[in-house]
Amino acid sequence: MNALFRFLKSVRLAVVLILVLTVLSLLATLVPQGAEDSFYRGEYPLVIYRLITLLDFNRFFSSLLFLVPVALFAVNLGVCAADRFLRQARSKSRRQYGPDLVHVGLLVLIAGALVTGFARQEKDFTMAEGDEVRLTKDYSIRLVSFRTVLYENGSPRSWTSTVDVFHDGKPQTASFPIRVNHPLRLKGVSVYQTSWARESTLVLRDRQGAEVTAHDGQGFQDGQSFWYFAQVVQESDGPKALFQEYQGHQIVSMRKLAPAQSIGPYTLLRMESREVTGLRAANDPGYLPVIAALVIVAAGLALTFIQKRRGEAG
Amino acid sequence: MIQSLATVALILIAAAGILQVVFLLRKSERGDPVSHFVLLAAAVLLFVTLVDRSIRISFPAVTNTYESLLFFSAVISLVLFVLRLVMKAAVMPFILFGGTIIALALLMISSSPVAPSQIQPPIPALQSLWLVLHVTLAFIGEAFFTVSFVAAIYYLAVKDETRKAAADRLVYTSIGIGYPIFTAGALIFGAIWAEAAWGSWWSWDPKETWALITWLAYTAYLHTRLVRRLRGRVSVILAGVGFVFTVFTYFGVNFLLSGLHSYG
Repeated sequence: MNALFRFLKSVRLAVVLILVLTVLSLLATLVPQGAEDSFYRGEYPLVIYRLITLLDFNRFFSSLLFLVPVALFAVNLGVCAADRFLRQARSKSRRQYGPDLVHVGLLVLIAGALVTGFARQEKDFTMAEGDEVRLTKDYSIRLVSFRTVLYENGSPRSWTSTVDVFHDGKPQTASFPIRVNHPLRLKGVSVYQTSWARESTLVLRDRQGAEVTAHDGQGFQDGQSFWYFAQVVQESDGPKALFQEYQGHQIVSMRKLAPAQSIGPYTLLRMESREVTGLRAANDPGYLPVIAALVIVAAGLALTFIQKRRGEAG
Repeated sequence: MIQSLATVALILIAAAGILQVVFLLRKSERGDPVSHFVLLAAAVLLFVTLVDRSIRISFPAVTNTYESLLFFSAVISLVLFVLRLVMKAAVMPFILFGGTIIALALLMISSSPVAPSQIQPPIPALQSLWLVLHVTLAFIGEAFFTVSFVAAIYYLAVKDETRKAAADRLVYTSIGIGYPIFTAGALIFGAIWAEAAWGSWWSWDPKETWALITWLAYTAYLHTRLVRRLRGRVSVILAGVGFVFTVFTYFGVNFLLSGLHSYG
């Protein structure tokens, strides 16, 4: 039992685990993470592909190969911190709590990271002016306006989505500006500015005379081909709907369609286009513990440094 | 006019390096008496350049590769100046020379096509004071890692035990100072900025992961100092590896791996 305790609290174990995590993380950055299985099969020789998928190197940071050393490291940190704390409590010499704070902070950080990993939720969505979106059971937002400001060189200066916030259906905050780096923070959810886009809608008539709509990214099968509506493009003689014809995974042709022209079983009646803001709603119960952990780590490092300087001066 | 100050700084740092070599070849124990003041002058010129760019874009100018190279080089020069004033060890002339060469190399890269010097206002994601803290503190920490790297090389190159001990102490001191600053800048403020900008404090983006790898390497170094058998050569090699990771995090990830940090 004593031997196990000594092993778990040992600095050597810490060094080995840190080096193992370093090397494994390094290798993981060489393999693109989270891609489809077909990507790895196409990109790597068969042996390497099998190794990557067997060891979960394609989703390394949620794999056992990563989590087991992290768990062992957490145990090592915990045992070491407890042992140091007890020894210092008994000791009459100068007490140095800096490293203990760092160790405790790192333990809280690992716990917070686990909470983030398992409980964090996020959803990307788009809104046009006047749209209302329910964020949680209690909160909803309505987009009042969306503004893009450009620099003189054409690069983006700011994207601002101004929203009204409703709590239980009643107005809570009017005209809150959500910008990049300036999220809307509500109880249980935060909303971030992530992107903007022009969303196009086509109104088509099918052979039976019924009206159907198609948005960017939608399409239809026509014999061997799949026609995919890519976007609305501005031509000198007016806007046109750009369709791409796919056979299998290959684009074989493209067509620009003006109103009254037909494609497959459909005739284009009109096009509608609107600017939308791209927002992200996220709920991360691990974030506050992580921030608290980082503050503890920073305080621990500062204390270590100060005590070391005092020790040298003394 | 102000833009050419960076070129003057490059010339000054090169001149400081030449001066240091002359005194090293003369085997002067104390080293040259002026090159650290030349380095200070170069650092001041670089900071003036950055202040000028900051005024032009109405934001602290640390948002692209060119500006970060200037800042990094300026901080290294400043750290070398301060070290030369406060440390009288016989290893200092070598450390000063090694650090000067790295500061010079950074400025040479800044004047190459790899780092376009056009003044560009920051895109929305970069308009954050957390980003400014993230970048500046990370580079200040890395400036101390630069000193530790040079001292580590010196440790491995010399045979004299007294000099080895002095170099080992300098490796430890500079990492002891650089590590908390790097932790605060690269990891803590980086995480806070990422959460405010993208809603996720950690994304396993290649640059984030490499910053963590660098931090782990220096964490391992600090722990090897506690194990008698690993002290000395092993820990010093680890300090050197830490700096190689630092450089890869800065340059390698930008050019070889893609991710959220592709702008700088």
